[in-house]
Amino acid sequence: MDRAAFATAFAVRLRRHGLTVGSPAVETFTKALAACAPDSITRLYWSARISLVNRHSEIGIFDTVFAQVFGEATLAVDPHARRTPLAKTSGHADDAGTGPGQPEHGPDDDPLPWSTLPDPVSRTDTSDGGIVIALRSPSPRSGTPDVPFEHLDDMQLAQLGSWLRKAAPHWPTRRSRRRVNDHRGRTIDLRETLHRARRTGWEPAHLARHRPRDKPRRVVLLADVSQSMHAQATVYLHLMRALAVETHTEVFAFGTTLTRLTTVLRHRCAGQAVDHASELVTDRFGGTRIATNLRALLSGPHADLTRGAIVLIASDGWDSDPPEELARAMARLRRRAHRVLWLNPRAGARGFSPRVAAMAAALPYCDALLPAGTLESLGAAITVITGTATR
Amino acid sequence: MSIPVTDPDDIRERLDRVDYLVDDGAATALFFALTLGQPLLLEGEPGVGKTTAAKALASMVGTALIRLQCYEGLTASEALYEWNYQRQLLAVRLAESRGRQLQDADLFTEEFLQERPILAAVRHRGPIPPVLLIDEIDRADDEFEALLFEFLGESAITIPELGTVTAEHAPIVVLTSNRTRELHDALRRRCLYHWIEYPEPARAVEILRRRVPTANTALLDSAAAFLGRVRELDLDKPPGLAETIDWVAALSALGATELVRTDAVRTLSALAKTPDDRYTIAEALAELHAADSSGDGDPGRATG
Repeated sequence: MDRAAFATAFAVRLRRHGLTVGSPAVETFTKALAACAPDSITRLYWSARISLVNRHSEIGIFDTVFAQVFGEATLAVDPHARRTPLAKTSGHADDAGTGPGQPEHGPDDDPLPWSTLPDPVSRTDTSDGGIVIALRSPSPRSGTPDVPFEHLDDMQLAQLGSWLRKAAPHWPTRRSRRRVNDHRGRTIDLRETLHRARRTGWEPAHLARHRPRDKPRRVVLLADVSQSMHAQATVYLHLMRALAVETHTEVFAFGTTLTRLTTVLRHRCAGQAVDHASELVTDRFGGTRIATNLRALLSGPHADLTRGAIVLIASDGWDSDPPEELARAMARLRRRAHRVLWLNPRAGARGFSPRVAAMAAALPYCDALLPAGTLESLGAAITVITGTATR
Repeated sequence: MSIPVTDPDDIRERLDRVDYLVDDGAATALFFALTLGQPLLLEGEPGVGKTTAAKALASMVGTALIRLQCYEGLTASEALYEWNYQRQLLAVRLAESRGRQLQDADLFTEEFLQERPILAAVRHRGPIPPVLLIDEIDRADDEFEALLFEFLGESAITIPELGTVTAEHAPIVVLTSNRTRELHDALRRRCLYHWIEYPEPARAVEILRRRVPTANTALLDSAAAFLGRVRELDLDKPPGLAETIDWVAALSALGATELVRTDAVRTLSALAKTPDDRYTIAEALAELHAADSSGDGDPGRATG
């Protein structure tokens, strides 16, 4: 068998399905085939997967392609193939909120989404019409992805960008473990001192000092994109884009599930960034499950992002989860984060008081509740972020 | 270098002898790490045995394990090498008192070089290269990844004052990550990649039996079955294999021969790491106990 040709052909097939397979990986695969003869489909599967795939989110696509090429035998050897529904594997796999162990559909839809087969028939509400009460209440149902996110307005983006750049010098910081030279520093930098001593005949005449370097504190923004927040979705998308581009902010969108948008929204072109975001956030303009999403964030692979961070939650507090659960999740978040700020578009209205059950439950754990429904109020919110105490 | 391994099955058997049980995927990954001389990046949920894999590999091959635990702010002077500045200063003073002229080359020699884990792995002498474990690379900041590239690609380290040090035999490098941060593509490209899954119940029992030899079969089976249930619960921190081993060890230290509720509750702190989790798992235990006693009750009544 011509191993090189075989490896290349398979790599081409993988690339066609959107996997990034570099030529070093193909070379590795060729060597792997030589080192260990693929005498069974299992062995071939592992040789290929270990040398060609280099991130967890790509394993699903790889499994699909491998099954297509080498028949159905692989379905039995690999638990992952059974675990990941094939439909999920087609898109741009950024599995931010949907790693293994996290409910993808919400706990009461499907108690064990990571270990059981997906339902052949989707369990949508089959209540028999009858009388429909047109009452708007927080709903756990995921939304319909027909309505895409509106495109961003360049002027508004530029405005937000300039605010952020203006705020940059006062951006909250934290102390990192790296050190920089500073003559007012407390500790002596031996390396630098000796380096300088070279010039003075190895006599350490000048003591160099250093101090810990400050790093910008991480900001994590969770934006509600449910139906009740439809009017504000665009303005928050502007904020998410501006924060993602200008600062080291992690941005997530949530409705009934949590989606990480940081990498997508950093795309060079604002239009494409929003298009990608529309593709990823399939639960937009539907119901809200704030508590579920917070829990997903806190126990998911991105949990450490909130440690010592400034967490912004942008939502009107219409939550279909019980308020006690939200309180519990907020308490955990509060213990982990440096500051928790809640941006509520309704808080700007005259006579507003946080009477929505979820809002009232969450409020004790927030450092501030900020009105933020318009571009101007977001500008004010940025000033509050920079005003949070620096440690 | 010659590590005589023939195929993944051989690796699996030899790891078995050092009490580390692997599935096909992990055996193949470790086999390639040995034979292709490329670093291996292991990812998986916390507690599935990523670090243990490297340790087992080292004891299987019969070589030294050099470990570099990553943390934020890790720099070249903690990972690669450092000059011993205090000794250099002393040498300067000594030379002065003896009236000797000092050159640059006198101060930057072997004598003043302090090895850190990666340099130690590169300069390791012996017929078999060491296993270098770079643990939890996602904890280090991304600047640190770039620092590793020369070493991962070439098995070499450049020290400006001394020149480039190249490894006699390329060390076997295992990197682990908990995925708290997305690693750079450049790093991934240089590595073989394996995602470790949580073992299925039968293998979990087998692993527990090896790690806790004092526990009896009934206890192991029921503990593993209960763990399967616990991992399905909505927990802040689902227990991994490491926690399970601790828990079964605790149970067997209490002299438990089967999963009794009182013992289980007493040892729960080995399994549940937050108050909320403790509460949830204790409830699951109560349910299990209730189901058990009703199941036992029926035949009892039938005979009575």
